[in-house]
Amino acid sequence: MKYYIKLGLILLLITSVASGILALLNNKTQPIIEENQRKEAEQARKEVLPEATVFEEVTTPDFSYYIGKNADNQIVGYTFVASKFGYSSEVKTMVGVNPDLTIKKIKIISQSETPGLGANCMKPDFAPKFEGLKLEKLKVDKDGGDIKSITGATITTRTVTNSIKEALEKLMNILPKNNIFEEKSAEEVSR
Amino acid sequence: MSLIKEFTKGFVKENPVFIMALGLCPTLAVSSSVQNAIGMGFAATFVLIFSNIIISLIKGFIPSKIRIPAYIVVIASFVTIVDMVMHAFLPPLHKSLGLFIPLIVVNCIILGRAEAFASKNNVLKSFVDGLGMGLGFTLALVVIATIREILGAGQFFGINVLPKSYIEKPMLVAILAPGAFLIMGLLMGLMNIAKKKK
Repeated sequence: MKYYIKLGLILLLITSVASGILALLNNKTQPIIEENQRKEAEQARKEVLPEATVFEEVTTPDFSYYIGKNADNQIVGYTFVASKFGYSSEVKTMVGVNPDLTIKKIKIISQSETPGLGANCMKPDFAPKFEGLKLEKLKVDKDGGDIKSITGATITTRTVTNSIKEALEKLMNILPKNNIFEEKSAEEVSR
Repeated sequence: MSLIKEFTKGFVKENPVFIMALGLCPTLAVSSSVQNAIGMGFAATFVLIFSNIIISLIKGFIPSKIRIPAYIVVIASFVTIVDMVMHAFLPPLHKSLGLFIPLIVVNCIILGRAEAFASKNNVLKSFVDGLGMGLGFTLALVVIATIREILGAGQFFGINVLPKSYIEKPMLVAILAPGAFLIMGLLMGLMNIAKKKK
């Protein structure tokens, strides 16, 4: 009996030393990791909406997006992250849209699809396929749309397309409400 | 003299992948590009060296009944350290290796060396063994990845090496999962032929 308690205590000692070291290191690296991710997202937002100088975050219960404003405080567009599970991974895309909600630019920010097939969505000729498209034009060629899918990677192309479509629909649903709300409050102010 | 032997045995004679057939899961998964292979190889080497050192140091202290859980804790700690440090300071590499880093924990090379070598030998020998085995693993990964990347994408280390006409229509199977099995199998076979001729 005593022997088994000793075994347990030795294991406890080993695990506590290990977790102590890990906790310390986590404390040190966590802020750097968060800072990196924040910078990366900021960089991606600038890339898809170059005219904007300031980004304001708007969070609603099921969707969050950024309003991009230029130096004169005018709204030049919106950015949001669209994400959906593709062939073998979650594909995340940073999307920039104009104020009329046509797509300005997109950038795939993370994916681990099949190298040589789906991963070709990282190649420079993929993202421009989406530029200037409106919500109803977001369809892959195999589904009767105009977006030419990557050879052998319809699933990835369709994933990106549909994720943007879903996110854009959410944004559309949110925006008018906010506009109405703003108008109302403006009326109230004038009264 | 024997130290040099402990170091070099991991490259060919006791190569973890080709001869001992250990750690095949990460080998198959990350060998689709040379860059991933090198990253994975060095991360595993790091974990292997330090887990070997620590296990060799505390081998007298751990009762044999609980040695496996104790080894796993040591290995898992170093894997987590690699994961956090890489995430903080080498984010691009962390992005492409992503899922595979936690898998180093279950890489049987590491537990295998802890059990078969570090728990029976002194610290210096264990360090040399970890370094040799880790580099042997890296070498095997790089060899497989070089073949797969050149055949499957016409690239080496992300740089185009084959004519453009090939890159547009490469032998895709080499970079997909079946290619990993085929190429690893062929290389293992070649190693065995070479061994028999000696």
